[in-house]
Amino acid sequence: MSVISGVGLGLRHRHFQEFITDKPDVSWLEIHTENFFSKDSTAAKYLARIRQDYPISAHCVGLSLGSAANACPVRAQHLQNIKATVDWLQPSLISDHLSWSASDKGHYLPDLLPIPYTEEAFDVVVKNINQVQDVLQKQILIENPSSYLSYLNSPIPEWDFLSMLVKETDCALLLDVNNIYVSAHNHGFDAQMYLENIPITAVQEIHLAGYSIDSIEGVDVYIDTHGHEIYDGVWQLYEKAIERFGAIPTLIEWDTDVPELAILLDEKRKAEAIIAKVSVSKAENKQSA
Amino acid sequence: MTTLAELQRNFIRDCLSGKHKNTNVLLAKDIDTSHISASGLLGIYQGSSIGNIIQAMKLTYPVIEKLVGEDFFRACCKEFISAHWPKSANMDDYGEEFADFLADFEPAKPLIYLKDVAQLEWLFHLSSLASDSSPTDWTHLSTVKADDALQVKFLLAPFVQLIRSSFPIDIIWEMNQPNTTVNKEIDLTHNIDKQTLLIVFRSGLKTEIMTVTEGEFALLSSFNHQQSLAIAIETIAKIESGISIDDVIKKFIELNIISSFKVE
Repeated sequence: MSVISGVGLGLRHRHFQEFITDKPDVSWLEIHTENFFSKDSTAAKYLARIRQDYPISAHCVGLSLGSAANACPVRAQHLQNIKATVDWLQPSLISDHLSWSASDKGHYLPDLLPIPYTEEAFDVVVKNINQVQDVLQKQILIENPSSYLSYLNSPIPEWDFLSMLVKETDCALLLDVNNIYVSAHNHGFDAQMYLENIPITAVQEIHLAGYSIDSIEGVDVYIDTHGHEIYDGVWQLYEKAIERFGAIPTLIEWDTDVPELAILLDEKRKAEAIIAKVSVSKAENKQSA
Repeated sequence: MTTLAELQRNFIRDCLSGKHKNTNVLLAKDIDTSHISASGLLGIYQGSSIGNIIQAMKLTYPVIEKLVGEDFFRACCKEFISAHWPKSANMDDYGEEFADFLADFEPAKPLIYLKDVAQLEWLFHLSSLASDSSPTDWTHLSTVKADDALQVKFLLAPFVQLIRSSFPIDIIWEMNQPNTTVNKEIDLTHNIDKQTLLIVFRSGLKTEIMTVTEGEFALLSSFNHQQSLAIAIETIAKIESGISIDDVIKKFIELNIISSFKVE
């Protein structure tokens, strides 16, 4: 298992062959774990080749860590599938979201649904994270979600909820800067204040992506679609994040209408330039001090 | 106060129930609706969930999407999804019933070959995901006693799929691959006398589709049903005279389509 650093890309099916034949200059790759459940599948065979040249991070979307369901067959089976994949893949990092997708009635919605930030939900998420870390025998990273609705009973701010999870479960955080930007717009909080309330040492990975804007009943809602270039506001917030947390491994995510690799490599270079800029600026400040 | 479990049950029920009036949204009492109505907010999650399922369907059924066009495909998927919400977080499991759905979906009925093309794509998907076969030491085959030879059962690799159609679905499939150079005039009328017989299998990193003869198809079907060599020979003799069983078996062993054998 390699330690990841620098800027990575989300590995998507359309780029498999390019990563094998052209070996583009990318520090690491992130997969959606759910796409590689079958170890013998053709996709897994491509991945087995690609991982010879690139460190891999495993990003999960279906563990449903916010599900209240005690005995949810969807969750139980999914965790076993994740374990089998993690066991053969040996990824550098494993992550999933602070969200839920499965109910106790065996229903599953393939989306990252929001939870209310209450004491009850906290206990549920702690229990679920502990269960996952026990089964995998590894620390996992929890990603802050983007959300479009607020619960009336949700007294704990999201950044506090995440910080409490780190303290209680020894999990780490995957900070999605785009999600902070999207949720800050949708719910009217200060994105920079969010960053300042996240414990510095907890963040082990950063995600960057593009969002879209939908007008719902005359209100502009930012939607986390992962189908666009990263917006300027997100780049600016990313710079603040690098200033606070350091040169954390950063991923360029693009999941819908996946473009040619050259476009992703351009986005990667922009992130690298920001890391370099912050590093120079920190060094200069140190010298002048 | 609504418990988390109740909240989540209501959320799912609202999302699965499709379009609704604000008064019927179970979640309405628990969410902030001061700027956007409850149904407007839930619509975002419904749309996003459906969009994610359609993304998975596009990966499994790219030829169907190309044949009917993106907008029609999305419309088909939306209708399909409303009757088939996922039951698993593994989206590889999703979409098996799509071929049958297309056959009954009124706007798609004029395209009578769609069902068979969708079936081929589903089998291609299954083949891509299936396990490898374990290596077999074929030298052991020569140690089978002469008396037992006809009782040998040849087994197909787990990734082998067989499909028969009255439409030229192999050519339709080929013509709709990315960067294809195949461009043929094809007869799309239903022709029971002109069967297309295909096997889907894996070779290295690729999943492939191969046309086979009636005799070869019958032989592989027989092995697929774990019938003995004696029964397979008897079946094939009725279908294709002059076929060399030895050559056919050898060919499919070399392609790793026949992957092992047993004697009972």
